[in-house]
Amino acid sequence: MKIKDKVAKLSFVALLITMTAAMFYAPTASAHGEKSQAAFMRMRTIHWFDLHWSKEEVAVNDTMTLNGKFLVFAGWPETVDKPEVSFLNIGIPGPVFIRAGSWIGGQLVPRSVSLELGETYEFKVLLKARRPGDWHVHSMMNVQGGGPIIGPGKWVTITGSMADFVNPVTTLTGQTIDLENYALDNVYFWHAVWFAIAFAWLLFWIKRPMFVPRHIAVSTGKANSLISAGDKKVGMAFALGTIVIVAASMGSTNEKYPVTTPLQAGLLRGMKTFQMPEATVSVKVDDATYRVPGRAMQMTLTMTNNGDSAVRLGEFNTAGVRFLDPAVHEDDTNYPDDLLAEEGLTVSDNSPLAPGETRTVEVTASDAAWEVYRLADLIYDPDSRFAGLLFFWDAKGARQLVTVDAPLIPTFI
Amino acid sequence: MSASQSAVRSRAEAVQVSRTFDWMILFTLFTAVLGGYHIHYMLTGGDWDFWTDWKDRRLWVTVAPIVSITFPAAVQACLWWRYRLPVGATISVVALMIGEWINRYLNFWGWTYFPVNICFPSNLLPGAIVLDVILMLGNSMTLTAVVGGLAYGLLFYPGNWPVIAPLHVPVEYNGMMMTLADLQGYHYVRTGTPEYIRMVEKGTLRTFGKDVAPVSAFFSGFVSIIIYFLWHFFGRWFAKTDFIADDNL
Ligand SMILES: [Cu+2]
Repeated sequence: MKIKDKVAKLSFVALLITMTAAMFYAPTASAHGEKSQAAFMRMRTIHWFDLHWSKEEVAVNDTMTLNGKFLVFAGWPETVDKPEVSFLNIGIPGPVFIRAGSWIGGQLVPRSVSLELGETYEFKVLLKARRPGDWHVHSMMNVQGGGPIIGPGKWVTITGSMADFVNPVTTLTGQTIDLENYALDNVYFWHAVWFAIAFAWLLFWIKRPMFVPRHIAVSTGKANSLISAGDKKVGMAFALGTIVIVAASMGSTNEKYPVTTPLQAGLLRGMKTFQMPEATVSVKVDDATYRVPGRAMQMTLTMTNNGDSAVRLGEFNTAGVRFLDPAVHEDDTNYPDDLLAEEGLTVSDNSPLAPGETRTVEVTASDAAWEVYRLADLIYDPDSRFAGLLFFWDAKGARQLVTVDAPLIPTFI
Repeated sequence: MSASQSAVRSRAEAVQVSRTFDWMILFTLFTAVLGGYHIHYMLTGGDWDFWTDWKDRRLWVTVAPIVSITFPAAVQACLWWRYRLPVGATISVVALMIGEWINRYLNFWGWTYFPVNICFPSNLLPGAIVLDVILMLGNSMTLTAVVGGLAYGLLFYPGNWPVIAPLHVPVEYNGMMMTLADLQGYHYVRTGTPEYIRMVEKGTLRTFGKDVAPVSAFFSGFVSIIIYFLWHFFGRWFAKTDFIADDNL
């Protein structure tokens, strides 16, 4: 008996806990996983660059865009599924903006797409402000089997009041509706109707003495006396009434909404790629070390210029963190401060690399961002390789992009 | 009998105690079912019930009845064979839907700000009422499973259609055709639910052309019959370790 009581008690407690858990379930709203995501995921999957947030402050109902490019890294890690089914998302804490549109290579992408390794794509996300507050807006790509790949984020302030938010949409049947509360009265109405019918049925039984006397009657063989002919008639009325209401409401709904279509789904293929100018510089990584106390990565690069104009290395970009040599390139896009090391790139000899010339240089990328964004955690990865983008400029301002991918050795002194 | 006789002094008092007991059991049953059923339904029906852009003619119609006939069958087994109360299915579904409404309203809308018109729960009540009446009229588990289970599956889609239909009106959006429900899913950003995990309009019923909903509903009804049997047995077995431990009562 004692054990039975204990089990009963414990299972009741367990039920209450699960009930509470169920009550508090809310869809994930947070988008701040960027720092906890494994460094190699951020460095070796999707390289976001040329990002531009059109506004830093936007009023409710106004729009802003986040646009730029992403390179699907050719050295995609073995441990992550290839981006054959991917979804261009936006990293925001729930629907603080609505996604009014998103495009890859000019094609609207409300559905999942197939991406090719090694290709670069242009993208744009149009956002309409809905809920006031300061929000971190990230670029984001979901990859089936790989999870979310979160790109750089920037703080954007929404001003105004959510009560003013409207979301007008014109249907193919010609009505303009506000999707924010469209058909909501209808939802409440039908749920209220069915709850009322169900409560009436429950009340019909609950209003009479229930458990103890009925249990006595059943265990003394008088079960059949508990359901009267009148009860059966009422039951029949409830069942028939239910079926009639379901049929009638379905009929009237079909009359009211003669044009409906099934939900639309399916993978979009053959996305238009963006052709970057052919790279004429080739880069070989001779070695790369990460100096833990200095928060700096040092690489020895052998660069050869096979083009016909002299170039200089101006930027190293990895996981959205940009290290610039201000003598070559300065940012004018208002890139997020915490991800921008304006003087973070030093090259031992950054004089123009002449056509046909080969030179070996020491390149240092140093900034607190290595620690803040936990990129240095890379050295604890099972396959501690780093990867990133190098940007070269010639005197006329023409830019070219070279990817690097090499093992990284940590030094602790 | 002896227990209740010794605890009270008059018949009137016995009736009163019995009535208090009714409310206590009812409350306990209601909250326990609400908790267990709610978490079960969230784990099995989950996104199909959360979002309008998952409520399609194939998978939602098939999945929701199959995974939701469980607790109604079990609670019916307990309330009918022990007390001849034909309310097991309705009580379960009312409890579930109240729990769902609280969750959707307070958390999905109140906390995360998804409009209620994208995250309202599915309506399971018509099937539950019919299930209870069939058990009452037939007094048979087999009949309830076969006729009731099938009816439960068949009533689901038409029972929800008046709520869903307005959201299946098509729109042209930047050169693509989609339903308003699709557009809700696109507009109201869910960072944790990328589009590709949406399981809609997939299946092997293509040969039936555009009339897939009735076929899905029949299929769902047939599987519901089996699940009904299974959970009715669970319910009977569970009802043995009764709340009232004294079997002489
Ligand atoms: Cu963030």
